[in-house]
Amino acid sequence: MVSHSLIVSAPMAPLAGALAAGLLGARLGRAFAHWCAILSVGWAFVASVLIAREVVGEGVVFNFDWYVWARAGGVSLSAGFLVDNLTAMMMLVVTFVSLMVHIYTVGYMAEDPGYCRFFSYIALFTFAMLMLVMANNFLQLFFGWEAVGLVSYLLIGFWFKKASATYANLKAFLVNRVGDLGFLLGVGLVLAAFGSLDYAEVFAAAPGVGALASLPAGWDAATVICLLLFVGAMGKSAQFPLHVWLPDSMEGPTPISALIHAATMVTAGIFMVARMSPLFELSETALSVVLMVGALTAFFMGLLGLVQNDIKRVVAYSTLSQLGYMTAALGASAYSAAIFHLFTHAFFKALLFLAAGSVIIAMHHEQNMAKMGGLRKKMPVTYWTALAGSLALAGLPPFAGFYSKDVIIEAVGASLAPGANVAYWALTAGAFVTALYTTRLLMLAFHGEGRMDDHTREHIKESPLTVTVPLVLLAIPSVLIGAVTVAPMLAGGFFDGAIVVGEGRDTVAMALEKMGGASWSGMAAHAIYSPVFYLALAGVAAGVWLYSGYPLRTEMFARGPIYRALLAKYGFDDFNDWFFAGGARRLAAVLWRRVDAAVIDNFFVNGAARLVAMSSRAARKVQTGAIYHYAFSMLCAVALVLAWRLWLR
Amino acid sequence: MVEYGEEKKLRGTVPSFALIVFYAFSAVLLCAALGVILVRNTVHAALLLVLAFVASAGVWMLLFAEFLAIVLVLVYVGAVMVLFLFVLMMLDANLESLRSGRGRFLSAAVALLVAAQIAAALNRDSFLQLPRFEAPAEAAGDNTRLLGSVVYTEYAYPFELAAVLLLVAMVAAVALSLRRRKDVKYTDPAVQMRASPAGRVRLVDMPSEKPPQTATVETNKTTEKRKGEKQ
Amino acid sequence: MGGAGFQVGYAGAEMFVFLAACAVLLGDLFLPAERRGAVLHWGAIGACVLTAGIAWTGFGGGGFDGEPAIALNGFFVSSPFTALMKTAVMLSVGGSLLFSRRYLEGAGMLCGEYYALALTSSLGMLVMVSAAHLLPLYIGLELMSLSLYALIALDRDNLRASESAIKYFVLGALASGLFLYGASIIYGATGELGIAEIAARIISGGGEARAALGLGLVFMLAGVAFKIGAAPFHMWLPDVYQGAPAPVTLFIAAAPKIAAMVMMLRVLVEALGVLESDWRPMLIILAVASLAVGNITAIVQTNIKRMLAYSAIAHSGFIVLGVLAGDDAGVAAAVFYVIAYALMTVGGFGAVALLAGEGKERAELSDIKGLAANNGVAAAVLMVLMFSMAGIPPVVGFAAKLSVLQAVLAAGLPWLAVVAVLLSVVGAFYYLRVVKLMYFDLPEKGAVALPVLPRGAQASLAAVGALVLLLGIFPGKLLAACETAARLL
Repeated sequence: MVSHSLIVSAPMAPLAGALAAGLLGARLGRAFAHWCAILSVGWAFVASVLIAREVVGEGVVFNFDWYVWARAGGVSLSAGFLVDNLTAMMMLVVTFVSLMVHIYTVGYMAEDPGYCRFFSYIALFTFAMLMLVMANNFLQLFFGWEAVGLVSYLLIGFWFKKASATYANLKAFLVNRVGDLGFLLGVGLVLAAFGSLDYAEVFAAAPGVGALASLPAGWDAATVICLLLFVGAMGKSAQFPLHVWLPDSMEGPTPISALIHAATMVTAGIFMVARMSPLFELSETALSVVLMVGALTAFFMGLLGLVQNDIKRVVAYSTLSQLGYMTAALGASAYSAAIFHLFTHAFFKALLFLAAGSVIIAMHHEQNMAKMGGLRKKMPVTYWTALAGSLALAGLPPFAGFYSKDVIIEAVGASLAPGANVAYWALTAGAFVTALYTTRLLMLAFHGEGRMDDHTREHIKESPLTVTVPLVLLAIPSVLIGAVTVAPMLAGGFFDGAIVVGEGRDTVAMALEKMGGASWSGMAAHAIYSPVFYLALAGVAAGVWLYSGYPLRTEMFARGPIYRALLAKYGFDDFNDWFFAGGARRLAAVLWRRVDAAVIDNFFVNGAARLVAMSSRAARKVQTGAIYHYAFSMLCAVALVLAWRLWLR
Repeated sequence: MVEYGEEKKLRGTVPSFALIVFYAFSAVLLCAALGVILVRNTVHAALLLVLAFVASAGVWMLLFAEFLAIVLVLVYVGAVMVLFLFVLMMLDANLESLRSGRGRFLSAAVALLVAAQIAAALNRDSFLQLPRFEAPAEAAGDNTRLLGSVVYTEYAYPFELAAVLLLVAMVAAVALSLRRRKDVKYTDPAVQMRASPAGRVRLVDMPSEKPPQTATVETNKTTEKRKGEKQ
Repeated sequence: MGGAGFQVGYAGAEMFVFLAACAVLLGDLFLPAERRGAVLHWGAIGACVLTAGIAWTGFGGGGFDGEPAIALNGFFVSSPFTALMKTAVMLSVGGSLLFSRRYLEGAGMLCGEYYALALTSSLGMLVMVSAAHLLPLYIGLELMSLSLYALIALDRDNLRASESAIKYFVLGALASGLFLYGASIIYGATGELGIAEIAARIISGGGEARAALGLGLVFMLAGVAFKIGAAPFHMWLPDVYQGAPAPVTLFIAAAPKIAAMVMMLRVLVEALGVLESDWRPMLIILAVASLAVGNITAIVQTNIKRMLAYSAIAHSGFIVLGVLAGDDAGVAAAVFYVIAYALMTVGGFGAVALLAGEGKERAELSDIKGLAANNGVAAAVLMVLMFSMAGIPPVVGFAAKLSVLQAVLAAGLPWLAVVAVLLSVVGAFYYLRVVKLMYFDLPEKGAVALPVLPRGAQASLAAVGALVLLLGIFPGKLLAACETAARLL
């Protein structure tokens, strides 16, 4: 029997580990720090397994308030935990990937002076992420939301002496502010509409919500709430146009890119929308927006992956694209497919990042793929695991990514939402792009001639065991997990109770029906009849042909406008820099000189300060130090009060 | 003796003897109290305070509170004020300086104002119609006995507290006044009597040393020489 | 309410602390000189903690979980409220004593009388807290005050201390006179001295003697305002706080405020609750004046003790704000505020008393420049306390200010809450300046650095700081206790 304290211990153990590693690590040494973090996260993983066994195996749902922090105006602000199948699955993913990354870090960061700080941060991240997924109310969700954002900020700027790292973390922080503002407004509207922040109460009352007094007439409350919440998800899950921070976040250490910016944190938005499915199902408009944003992100961000030379950035753009797939699934009401893709993606994307990290170590922190090549022989473990991850990402059967991605594409195809057909074609085309850039990465990094300098070439060797063991441990689920879990997770009513799908919108069921049922072999066999499979194969073939020789056959595109547009990332960064950052600076300069310095500082602030100082000096003069003055002032006060009472009232 | 009830009946018609005495005592009391704060000589002020006490004892007597009246005279006039006079005469305090300047008019004005306000407030309730509370019937007979019977029973708690207050006052007085002055040579005979040679002289066994060859030895010699010359 | 028999068991805490005072006096005589200081010090602190325990558990009757009861022939009230306030009083007395030993030893003041007077003073406070009648209320007040006067003057060779003792004594006597005069007018108008009886009599009497009642109210309020240190009856406070030896300042600043607040509640809310429309405007004047005078004048101070004295005036303004709301929420807020205030004061003046050194006063603001460099723990605790006094989350001062402001808002006085917040912002300046001096300034050239505190002192300071932080983040338990207490006065 799983007790409440075991559930509480799952997030609290990493918190304790983070505190111990951060506060005592400098004194007690590196080994102490990494054991603290690893053991605490290990405990969280064990607890997650125990909890999942009970929740998934016996269908128990835990929902309890653990600590009531305050009550304000009839609203209880509390920390509480809701553990159902959705949460249990997320806990498993988070703790497992986190544990792998912890172990990997021991090898990856061995030389870094910020070793203890790093362990403290990632353990803290695990705590925050668990609080987010285990929340049973919006307040705690928001707490976890902000806390993971904070740790992400800290870790992107982990090498804070590097100018590009501080630029990147500031960018991530600011872009997420935009998303979080929307999210906060959404939570505020939830409070205004339902008078509660508790999931169960809100979801129970959700179908009855109509117009809201605080909104302009004619606005549907559910739509506004969902759109605002989705703005938060766009920030956190890097959806177009708030995607700009994720590629830059690769300035952080690679384990972080794997854990936070691929497997877990960026999927918080997907998780949140799935969790809020009872709300989103009420608004077709919101779902359509979600669908379109996801599909656009999936296709256009995938294209960007084709022109990047930084190995980590390629993977980062692939993450953007895959997040787009998940978002599109959400928009098509295929929540379980989105979560299923999140689940498989966590493994193979973490694997790809860690493999990239392994390459980067071997290359002495060289990330440019133009200077790699031919690593296949020197780093066999890294190569084979990366190959497994790439095939999963490309969506070839029977690797994990195939099951989840094909279901998403079919579900979007089955959806009747406005814009679903455009989204379907974008996603289908995306399958080709995905396969193409994945193959490009493999070809440039591992095949062909080595293009590194001689010094580096001599020192290339396979990474140590702490790096390769997590690679292998992640490669296994990358290959198998899709085939093993597709039937129970998609067809077995796994998410009943956690996810609500409206009448006639069960696109997952429709997709599965079209694909011949949810058996792993059946789906693999059906792939032969679907265009997606051939597009993916075509992508692989094109990749092999385009990138096998050097100089590349793509040079012919290099001068074209499309290529340049892609290289400039469609101009988003430039536009943001010019319009938002530059515009804000220009506006700020005006406000500073005309308003702040002239009016506020001079008149209000300094004026008030001068007034206070003056009255302060005057008040001090009253204090003469003579007893009779004091006694006299007391009597005067009595006389004044009496006079007021007697004659002035 | 005039019964309480009778006095009440007489009010407003013919001024009874008791009423005349009351006004007389009250007038003395007020004048004496004003005098306390107005006269310049502090000893005079203290003596006027004695007068005020006596006058208020007289008012209490009219209320049949003879025990309180007598205690007031015995304790305050007989003991406290006498002590107070001693202190005043010893200190020879000069309060002249405090009574000069413009401040005194302002103070007097505020005092008058407060007095007027109190009068106005009481007048607003039309003073004579204020609720009246009868003294307990048994108090009319033996006031002292009655006080004695309630102080140790019903009022035991405040009474004990007052006792604690007096104890604290005593402790505080002792703590503040009993102190060892640093500028007085003070000897304790008991310590002198207990003195023994063992506590005074310490014999130290030291190994012999070479004669030091420093300037100090020479200066010693020169002083010895000078001594010799004088002798 | 229980019967009004004698039931002496309810007064267990009072009896125990009195016996402890006597034991301290006797122990001072008979203990060997070399162990006297330590035994008296720890004995007195132990007695405080034990008394707090007795008051909380109600050993012999009452206690926080006990039924409210009237005892000792109607002079004594025992309720969750009195249990909470007595516990707070005794714990802050114990805390005050804890931080005073270093200074006392240095100044040669470590004697039995100091501890005995401290204990009798706290006996006075306990009596005030439990007074169901104006007579014990007044005697308790005098018992507390008399002991305080003597405590301040105890170091006879300290001229400033003697001066402030005289000031406190004379003005305190005047305030007592005002209070007594008011009480006598109330007695004249109602014929009662019991607090519940006065209230009942005013209700049953209808509108009779309203002007006389109002007159008595003004005078009593003047006396109470003096004790709580609210402007314009605050003038004694900066002089006395600055002049008194640091441990005594610590003592006066913390626990007596709790007793004074109880006195205010008993007189205004309980006895004269019917006259709320009369006293509320007066309290508004007191509160606004205190907040303004305290916060604004503190800015130009150069002495820490004097600065904290003005801050105490501002805090009393907040306590008055809680009382003037008058309902259960307001009383609970005032109770919470006064407890938080006592805790912060024990820490703040405790740090000053510790840093003031061994008998030498080092309490100028310039003395703490660069304190963080050589006294890290003391600086950190002072920083937490300054944040708390300024009302910055997540420390307890914020929760306290918040609950008071909520009560004021609920009482329908939003403008008053705005004024209070604005003046608190002014106050934040001088609190944060302390932090700036400690952390960002360098010691003045030629200045002698403050002594590094011993481990024990650091630990006890850190404990106070941790408590301030902890109660700020998790105020729930204490708030609930205050609400219970406010319901059952």
